[in-house]
Amino acid sequence: MNRPRSAGRGRPLLYTSYAQDIAMFNTPGKRWGVAALFALALLAPFAFNDDVVLILALALVAAIGAIGLNLVTGYAGQVSLGHAFFLGIGTYAGAVLGGDPEATRALAFGLPMVVWIPGAGLVAALAGLIVGPLATRLRGLYLAIVTLGLVFLGGHLFKEARFITGGIGAGRRGAALDFFGYRFDQAGPLLGLDLTRAQKQYVLALVLLSIFAVLGRNLARSGVGRAFSAIRDRDIAAEVIGVGLTKYKVLAFTISSFYAGVAGAVFYSIAGVVEPTAFNLLLSVQYIAMILIGGVATISGSIMGAIFIMTLARVTQEIAHYIPYISTQAIGGGLINVFQLEAILYGLLIIGFLIFEPRGLFGIWFRTRNYWKGWPFSY
Amino acid sequence: MSPKKRWTYLPLLLVVLALVAAGCRAAEQEMQPPEDQEQEPAGDDDAQGAQTDVGVTEEPCPNAVNEDNGCIYLGIISDLTVGPFAPLAGPITEAQAAFWRRVNEVGGIAGYDIDATTYVRDNEFNAEVHNRVFQEIRGEVLALAQTLGSSPTLAILDDMRDDSIVGAPASWNSAWEFEDVILESGANYCFESMNGVDWATEQVGTDISLLHIHFPDDYGNDAAAGSEIAAQAHGIEYSAQETPPGRDQQAGAIEAVVSQSPDVLFITTGPQEMVEIVGRAAARGWQGLVLGSGPTWNPALLGTDAAPALEAMYHQVGPWGTWGTDTAGHQAMRDALGDVSEINDGYTAGWVWSYPMRAALEAAAENGDLTREGLLQAVSALTEVDYEGMLPNEAGNYADEPEQGAFRQSIIAGVDTESETGVSTIEDFFTGPTAEEHALDGPCYELG
Amino acid sequence: MTRFVQSVVTGFGFGSIYALLALGFVIIYKSTLVISFAQPSLMVIGGLLSYFFATVLGLNFFLALLLAMAAAALVGVIVERSALRPMIGKPVFVVAIITIGVDIVLRIVANRFIGPRPRPVRDPWGLSSLEIGGVFIQQRSLAMVAVTGVVVVALAVFFKYSRTGLAMRATALDQETSLAQGISVGTVFALSWALAGALAAVAGTFVGAGSGLDQQSWIIALKALPAIILGGLDSLPGAVIGGLTVGIVESLVATYQGQYAPWLGANFSVVSPYVIMLIVLLIRPYGLFGTPEVKRV
Repeated sequence: MNRPRSAGRGRPLLYTSYAQDIAMFNTPGKRWGVAALFALALLAPFAFNDDVVLILALALVAAIGAIGLNLVTGYAGQVSLGHAFFLGIGTYAGAVLGGDPEATRALAFGLPMVVWIPGAGLVAALAGLIVGPLATRLRGLYLAIVTLGLVFLGGHLFKEARFITGGIGAGRRGAALDFFGYRFDQAGPLLGLDLTRAQKQYVLALVLLSIFAVLGRNLARSGVGRAFSAIRDRDIAAEVIGVGLTKYKVLAFTISSFYAGVAGAVFYSIAGVVEPTAFNLLLSVQYIAMILIGGVATISGSIMGAIFIMTLARVTQEIAHYIPYISTQAIGGGLINVFQLEAILYGLLIIGFLIFEPRGLFGIWFRTRNYWKGWPFSY
Repeated sequence: MSPKKRWTYLPLLLVVLALVAAGCRAAEQEMQPPEDQEQEPAGDDDAQGAQTDVGVTEEPCPNAVNEDNGCIYLGIISDLTVGPFAPLAGPITEAQAAFWRRVNEVGGIAGYDIDATTYVRDNEFNAEVHNRVFQEIRGEVLALAQTLGSSPTLAILDDMRDDSIVGAPASWNSAWEFEDVILESGANYCFESMNGVDWATEQVGTDISLLHIHFPDDYGNDAAAGSEIAAQAHGIEYSAQETPPGRDQQAGAIEAVVSQSPDVLFITTGPQEMVEIVGRAAARGWQGLVLGSGPTWNPALLGTDAAPALEAMYHQVGPWGTWGTDTAGHQAMRDALGDVSEINDGYTAGWVWSYPMRAALEAAAENGDLTREGLLQAVSALTEVDYEGMLPNEAGNYADEPEQGAFRQSIIAGVDTESETGVSTIEDFFTGPTAEEHALDGPCYELG
Repeated sequence: MTRFVQSVVTGFGFGSIYALLALGFVIIYKSTLVISFAQPSLMVIGGLLSYFFATVLGLNFFLALLLAMAAAALVGVIVERSALRPMIGKPVFVVAIITIGVDIVLRIVANRFIGPRPRPVRDPWGLSSLEIGGVFIQQRSLAMVAVTGVVVVALAVFFKYSRTGLAMRATALDQETSLAQGISVGTVFALSWALAGALAAVAGTFVGAGSGLDQQSWIIALKALPAIILGGLDSLPGAVIGGLTVGIVESLVATYQGQYAPWLGANFSVVSPYVIMLIVLLIRPYGLFGTPEVKRV
């Protein structure tokens, strides 16, 4: 495929070949933009404190899960409130496969990272494969509430399966971050630089996110992605034109669960301890909030939404110092305390974004970009 | 862009800038990786003369009592909002703040004020949240004035050992006797259960059946292990049942009590779960002797429907005297806390737990070493702690082996509607025969 | 046998709570075609208001209940006007998520007022039980069933015989035609949220009547979701039957599961409503009494 000269001359919207139209970085703007973003992301761990870097690392891993949810709910239109269930399955599969048997009372095999990351994804994908056919039979709100039921059933399962999960209150350690002997959970050198633990985990998260984001974007712009969008827009019409509903709905759930599984396993490896009540309705709602605030049916929106939601707690703490009546103590004093403020802000943000900016952060970015594209002739 | 949009995006931008500024890497604040502690000391030999590393500063504390003292920061991780022990944990934390304020008012320790209010975090009685908030304050505090929960503390124990962070647990697990970094006070759940069962056999004989209902975590299992040992020693018919936290989750436990109809019911849960089980079982006709572990009582329980059942049947096996007890320490606590709207033995617990930390800090300051290592060494050398009468001094023995040093005495309290906390002591400090003979060569319930 | 009867009666008692919440869900769904996930917080707020009127102010239980219903209805209307009025015409999924957001906000505020200690609503029955033939039946369970019965009958009469009820039924059938007939559809929306709030308040009062409302009480309301799915999203009698079924199944499982199927794990009764829901949906995807959607391209 040769790049036509017009693209090089800065006329990016002139597509002269189909391949160019659907290419991932089809304009120089996109190419340079993504490169700059990636460079910024690489520099971030050296600019921030370790606890912020840890939050960012967790946010990037959560973004993988958000991409998965976007694939099934945003692209394929299958409302899934059960993402927490698949996150949990993946977490425990990863913890069992990759956990350090010395470090925990629960079941652990101590396998290396190259085994437990895909393994966690595959086990979760299997769960998605089983749940998928439900989607074919149910639609809309019924599907949403059934996936909600899945979360409760999963929660019960996790609480009972003590030999895997450690039981309520106690929990267990996640999988060990051991890449062919190179440990990501201790400080040490990486490519000649001396990094702390949080920085190393951030780099790992960034690499994993890049891989999965590219995979997700490729999926979205392929035939499968177009089939998903067709199902979302008018599923009966899609079936009429030959898009197999069962096949693609099941595929959507399976792929999304794979992403969720990987995200859950790596998230709790970085966080350290995982407790069975973590996989509840609130976690599902958090991921829904990530994709809604970030932008449904966009990969970059999922990433933005994930970072936004995960850093919200920290941001609220910083803001709380400047707002009167908010107490930074956990008990007593003030009208409400920081944790409650964060939860309220979270709810208000969901409502606010949905009312005023339904396309989410991606929509804001989109409008900003269009404004500056047309400047000084913006309207 | 349009003016309206400008006003929406401007505050957003300011927020982002504020966060960026706040999070920026500052050389003095960089958390030190455990491996290389030799380089980059945050503040070595200073004017006061003692060596310090993390969590001790020359600047005064925020809201300091003594403006020209430096500051020692202690962290508190407690169940402040939604867990089963929230009504007790708030008072525990307040009592500790009052304790350290009293210490500061007489000049602090070795020229430093102690701050136990800046790094207070909520753990929702969840090991995962506990770990997460611990990571947030890990690089800022010298030690932990409080870490609540057996299982949550276990989750951070490895990190505490790695960083030599000493912590006073808000729990009484038998495993703490074997950990150098843990500053436990009072008889552990294992001995407490043994003492409780021993006392019960004195009341109703040994030809009885015992059912122990407990949380499925390390707190519950430690107590159940103790009651099982005591039951075997006396030849009592024994069974144990787990129940999860949550008032609406007690159906299975209530069924077990009503169907098995034990003579003695030992409960190791939170206050809400205990009252739910006892109240509903009583409403369905069950009667017997109820023994609750230390953390199962909350004065508010007397305001519920189950109050008559509790008055008739409930007894608490506890680690020390309740709020109204007449000792120098209790009096100091009552004076320091002043008029409290709802008196609660959480205050007593928080106050007592702080004594060993004070003793350790004073010892470390005397050695001239207020680093984390230094504090840990001071702890390991303590053979007694001045509890001002709330516990015998030898209860604070961290130097000896657990077999010698562990404290084995408990008190029994019964419901007393006249008392401020709803219970009052009916049997003062005693060691039952089972606890006396038990060889403590390992935790009663294996942790981790 | 006595255990069975006791279990069923307790189940009826809790089932009436779920039935009331389910009715609220279905009323909102029928008029506005939106599933409101805000019912849990409305229930907690309603219960809290009852606590305030009955325990703090010391009023008569039924008076407190009526006042709480009125106040909760007002809260429902405020929520509808502020958060949902701008969303008319938007896709249903989006509006459902907005109600989740509303639920989060309201719940945090309510939990702030609850604090760490549970808030019991002072009721005239307490733990007293009636003994009928050796079976201890809690008076409160009977009261719950009775109050729910009164409420359901009142609702049925309202919908069938009053003008406003007729207007609401018309709006549920077809919004556009109702507008054409001069019915103020906006008022109907507000009224349905008000009704849902009032019903949630009754449910919340009974939840608080026992051991009190605490910060985890809102989870109880989520069990009404299987109830509405069982009964069918747009069927009022289905909601009542679904709620009672869920309550009875839960109670029976709680009583007998330890004996017959301990391998299911402790407290399987808490998730048994969802299992029932899944089973029913696999057979009848629109619930027992729901009308199947007709999809056109």
